[in-house]
Amino acid sequence: MPIGNTQPSVRPALAGRTGGPAVDPAARRRPARRAGSGGGLRAERLAPYILVAPAVLIIVLLRLYPLLLGVNFSFTGDGTRNGTAVGIDNYRELLTDPLFRTALGNVGWLVLLLPVAVAIPGLLATFIYLRVPGHRVYRSVYFFPAVLSPVIVGAIFNLLLAFDGPVNAVLGAVGVPPTDWLGNPDIAMFVVVGVHVWATFGMSLVVFLAGFATLDSALLDAARVDGASLPQVIRHVIIPGLSRTIQFVFVTTMIGMLTSMFGLLYVMTSGGPEGSTYLPEYYIWIQQGQMNRPALASAASTVLFVIMLVVGLLQIQLLRRAGKES
Amino acid sequence: MSHLRRGRWLIALPMSLLALATIYPLLFTANVAMKTRRDYILDRFALTDALRWENISTAWTSVGMGRYFVNSLVVVTSSVILLLLLGSMAGFALSQLRFRGSSALFLGCLAGLFVPFQVIMVPLARIMADTALIDTYPGLILVYVAQFLPFTVFLMTSYYRGVPPEIIDAARIDGNSIYGVYRRIMLPLGTPALLSVGILNALFCWNDVLMSLVMMPSAEHRTLMVGVTSLRGQYSDDIPTFASGVLIAAIPVLVVYLFLQRQIADGVAAGSTKG
Repeated sequence: MPIGNTQPSVRPALAGRTGGPAVDPAARRRPARRAGSGGGLRAERLAPYILVAPAVLIIVLLRLYPLLLGVNFSFTGDGTRNGTAVGIDNYRELLTDPLFRTALGNVGWLVLLLPVAVAIPGLLATFIYLRVPGHRVYRSVYFFPAVLSPVIVGAIFNLLLAFDGPVNAVLGAVGVPPTDWLGNPDIAMFVVVGVHVWATFGMSLVVFLAGFATLDSALLDAARVDGASLPQVIRHVIIPGLSRTIQFVFVTTMIGMLTSMFGLLYVMTSGGPEGSTYLPEYYIWIQQGQMNRPALASAASTVLFVIMLVVGLLQIQLLRRAGKES
Repeated sequence: MSHLRRGRWLIALPMSLLALATIYPLLFTANVAMKTRRDYILDRFALTDALRWENISTAWTSVGMGRYFVNSLVVVTSSVILLLLLGSMAGFALSQLRFRGSSALFLGCLAGLFVPFQVIMVPLARIMADTALIDTYPGLILVYVAQFLPFTVFLMTSYYRGVPPEIIDAARIDGNSIYGVYRRIMLPLGTPALLSVGILNALFCWNDVLMSLVMMPSAEHRTLMVGVTSLRGQYSDDIPTFASGVLIAAIPVLVVYLFLQRQIADGVAAGSTKG
């Protein structure tokens, strides 16, 4: 917008502040500019909306509206019953589908493993904060896998975890018999989760370190002067001081496990062996893309969304409780 | 205090082993990518006897990684430019301008943060198919922009909140329109945040596989990460070519990481402390 246009638009506002009578003579003296300023004023009033509109439109049309559409869709049928209302049939089918039950069971495992996935970067960040020899190097080295795509990570670990691959070779050297890491339904899911943790703990580490930067170092010094041991320092100084950061990492790690393991599953196991590595997101993709069951997939999407809402609400609950305590 | 100090050296050992475990997988892959098939089968650990760049060029040309690479580059660049433009426009308005409904609009943008792609995959694919945008570059770009816009708007809004309103008032008195303030003041002032958010968005888009898989079904439109997944079936008996393909996909990220590590970490940290 040309600069000349904007001059009058500021004026009415200033004139308005000085009082009503002052506006009229000015307007009468320059009628053309007054008209122009009216248009400019309208344009100025609209400007914030014009700036926000593209972002809001995209988010509403391609994020919020599809959410409603999907929930609606989950109550209709697939195939020959396409488009007709079927009530909760899709949800009933989900509950009886062994693959979806495995997926939910695996979500349960993720919840159980969550404290470990949070504790590892938390401990490492503590050590880096306490200036373990070489702490600068660790920070950048540990963060590095976090920038790699799950697809690349998965492809690399396919090589490493092959039956005749390096991992088994190293373990063989210390007398551990070779394991079919990705072919054994009892352990495949844990292997994939382990790789996910390997690939993402650097993210949480950086978040923890940002939290440490806000920690009052005087408390830490005091604890040291009092001769506190490391576990005592962690329990009585670091955990209370970082409670918000810890909660944030809990939630982001859980959401990461629920929504960013698709690439690993797709490349490493394709849901196998025997469907043991299904997660809801993989199930949704299979039903939508491979089985041509979009309505069933929508029902699974809705279930995943509810799980994520529960995680989010629990977080708010925890934050409130922590707020009351302190 | 002294036992803490001694403990540090004890802790440094497992930490350096972990550091090794963090880097080794990629070094192993790079080494394998330089080997011949025979070498790999005979001994997968030994250092390669020569740098066989021809493996990389095979993956680039005959496997088609080059084509996928260009596809990714086009989609990622366009998405990031759009994200930064729309995100900074909205961030400026939501942080510095007073207008009716601004907090509702901000909350609307934030709500997008809680809707992962997996949850809206089916209806979104349908919308894209209905508007003939499925399997097109603009379609995938739009999906990426929609995916990462809530986060971008959120970060830009909180960054621009730190700009003193006096600067904007002064620019207005100097005769700038609101758009002029955006272009001449806010965009240059936002450079550090735009850089951080831009790099993060570029990484997210570059690394994505699910959205691309759903929105770009045809083989010639594949992005690089989908190309990597297709390597697995085709080259399962030619591991060096497979590893070369993986390396092609990893190298750009590696280079970005080496040079812009601080911005990436800052972006992640900003997202957490402002949340």
